[in-house]
Amino acid sequence: MAYRIQRLPTPPRAIALTARALAVGLALITAGVALAWKGASPWSLAHEVITDTFGSAFALEDLALLVSPLILTGLSVWVGLRVGAWNIGAEGQFNSGALAAAGVGLFVPGPTAVVLPLMLIAAIGGGVLWMAGPALARAYVGVSELITTLLLNFVAALLVYWLATGPWLDPGGRAIGTTARIPAEMPAVWGGVHWGLPLAVLLTLGAGTLLNYTRWGYEIRVCGANSDAARYAGMPVRRHLMTVMLLSGGLAGIAGMFEVAGTVHHLQGGISNNFGYLGIMVAVLARRSTLGVLAGAVFMALLLNSGTILSTRGVDVSIVLAVTGLVLLYTAIGDEVAHYRLVPTRELPCP
Amino acid sequence: MTAGAPPLVQLTGITKAFPGIIAAANVDLDVEPGEIHALLGENGAGKSTLMNILTGIYRPDAGDIRIDDCRRQFASPADAMAAGIGMVHQHFKLVRSFTVAENIHLGWERTPGLIRARDLALRTRELADRFGLAVRPDARIDELSTGEQQRVEILRVLVRRARVLIMDEPTAVLTPGEAQELFNTLRSFVAQGNAVILISHKLDEVLKIADRISVLRGGRKIATERARDCSASMLARMMVGHELPLGLTRLRRAAAAPMTAAPVLELRDVVVSDALGLTRLERISLQLHGGEILGIAGVAGNGQKELSQVMTGTRHVSSGEILLGGSDFSRRSAREFADFGVGHIPEDRLHSGLAPALSVADNALLREYRRAPVSRRGWYRPRRALALARVMASAAAVRVEDFAMPIGNLSGGNQQRLVARREMRIASRVLVAAYPARGLDVGAIDTMLRYLVELRDAGIGVILFSEELEELLNLADRIAVLCRGAITGVFDPRTASLEEIGMAMAGQRGPRG
Repeated sequence: MAYRIQRLPTPPRAIALTARALAVGLALITAGVALAWKGASPWSLAHEVITDTFGSAFALEDLALLVSPLILTGLSVWVGLRVGAWNIGAEGQFNSGALAAAGVGLFVPGPTAVVLPLMLIAAIGGGVLWMAGPALARAYVGVSELITTLLLNFVAALLVYWLATGPWLDPGGRAIGTTARIPAEMPAVWGGVHWGLPLAVLLTLGAGTLLNYTRWGYEIRVCGANSDAARYAGMPVRRHLMTVMLLSGGLAGIAGMFEVAGTVHHLQGGISNNFGYLGIMVAVLARRSTLGVLAGAVFMALLLNSGTILSTRGVDVSIVLAVTGLVLLYTAIGDEVAHYRLVPTRELPCP
Repeated sequence: MTAGAPPLVQLTGITKAFPGIIAAANVDLDVEPGEIHALLGENGAGKSTLMNILTGIYRPDAGDIRIDDCRRQFASPADAMAAGIGMVHQHFKLVRSFTVAENIHLGWERTPGLIRARDLALRTRELADRFGLAVRPDARIDELSTGEQQRVEILRVLVRRARVLIMDEPTAVLTPGEAQELFNTLRSFVAQGNAVILISHKLDEVLKIADRISVLRGGRKIATERARDCSASMLARMMVGHELPLGLTRLRRAAAAPMTAAPVLELRDVVVSDALGLTRLERISLQLHGGEILGIAGVAGNGQKELSQVMTGTRHVSSGEILLGGSDFSRRSAREFADFGVGHIPEDRLHSGLAPALSVADNALLREYRRAPVSRRGWYRPRRALALARVMASAAAVRVEDFAMPIGNLSGGNQQRLVARREMRIASRVLVAAYPARGLDVGAIDTMLRYLVELRDAGIGVILFSEELEELLNLADRIAVLCRGAITGVFDPRTASLEEIGMAMAGQRGPRG
């Protein structure tokens, strides 16, 4: 019996998930082969990574601390994609949010219960402000947000460096290149894990509900899928585009505030730790799924964490970046391959 | 036809299956040099599949393709084009952000190595003259109307030395005069030993132009006949497998709502200029009454798109007034038009009436997502949305297996029926229907036009844009002719002749109705 290849318009769920799993597995195998080639033992390294990640409560807390900013930057990019905008600038909005939050935290005295909300508002403002230019340029002049948001990342990162090593440098001088410790701290919810994680999860679920179960969300999805059809139905396309892009900036800003007030407690250069860029990965892996954002963030956190562990074993951290890239590549291939299936060719009945 | 010469194209036993359907089953087809061979069939009869196989878009599951008595396998449309088989598709394959000249020269071995816009434009003008197809070489495709785009498509294939030209509904956007010109072009093309395969739904046109006619039904070939041995009713019967009551009527049922005294939609001296400052609509004044079908005739690209847009609020007028029910809507939004009860079946359904990547259910709700029961206090209720989508699909007689599937996966005809039904639901005062029957098969056209009559009888004003004069003459209470953005005449279909209307379509001023 002969077989032929057939393309399905929508792949079956089980096949799609299997393709995803295979993609991740393949990426890890590729990395393992590269490591073995360099003379390391991938099996023992894998074993160490697993025990070091899941072996203790302390290690799990570390993992959780990575998950929260990744959820938020991932959500930021994901929300932008719903209205058809690629926010490559979550990194910049993260920095700008962190900067604004740190400014409030350092210079506004008061009880934590007052200062924290103020920091949050400042961070949202910082993220929104960083997105305002690209959003206006896209909505009114049609300038691609890919370029504008990306370029502003460098501005924000350099601004943070300058403040942290210059005007806002810790006068006590205990640490090099950071501000003084910010007194207001996010309360802990479990061990060293602060409230940022549950809040990030709530924000994600809220955004998912908004998009899938409200009239406004429906309009956003139509605007993102075909702006001509949205205009035809009389939807305010430009306003929706602006709103969602600013929302996307604000979410990344919140991620910056959580990092400053919950994990790092200083403003310092490199505080964004590529979370913004990794957020793009999270959003791409999640595709249209809200829960996919959470799953994608956990997955990226695992990868990041493994990188940290590997670096203590003398393995170059860039292996993790390579694996990230491979996962993206294989996933893209896997998602496409999931559309195809082999079917046996049969004899056709005669008329 | 040359007797004894081998067929130019010989398909034997072509079979192709898709999930759930057999699109072509054991089809044989011979196309002789020097003939225009028409392919007839309803939507889904397998015409497109067969032609997609011949042009290398699909590979057959079984069967042979022989060109000039030589067995061929095409891996791509480029392969087929190299073998002299070119196709003008119903959905154009043009680069929308390129100019006409660039599209003509794209991917063509005869394009000069060094490209200058002026040379390309000049060459394009020469080619256009040679093939008798008027195009504007410098215009960008996305500025062109559907009709103009199709002319570019035809030219693009003709200049590539096609020996077999496959045309999918080529006359849909042409005037009778232009169609005749095209037929003359096709005639001289086949006279040189070439062949044309013509896919069409228009029986009279096929009978007039084709030498032989093959009818497909349900993926199988029913018959190949000489055109002179055929009649329209016989072909229609072969296509659908039973008799169809063709031909509609302007006659109203006794119970039908009378025409309203006051116009429900009125245009006063409406002028529309495009982004380049060119006038697309020139001082248009029209009145539409409730319970009336106003036909808009004219060659595509003469302002139909703009006119349908200003009537539905999707484009603003540069000057003049638009009144709905007597109040000024000139500055109102598309949403306010829809809320007033204006439905809109747009010309380019896939690009402006639907979001192809969203689900069937989401698309069905495009007009009613703000109303109960789908929406309540700002919430969007997917389950109610699904229920309403089911109602719409069954009213449109479209079978949808999975409402969560992107609507882009449905066939063009089914998308069209869903859009029409969706718009009819909100059209409580006015329906603006731009080419609602385009691309549908005879049975579906009949149903679609009956919908319009139903609306009219319910007292709703219907604007019907159509390139089928027969359709307008049968259906419309008045026919306004649009030429170069202006109304060149308003006719009473009971007294007007095809010739008079044709003259107005060509720009000669007729009566002001």
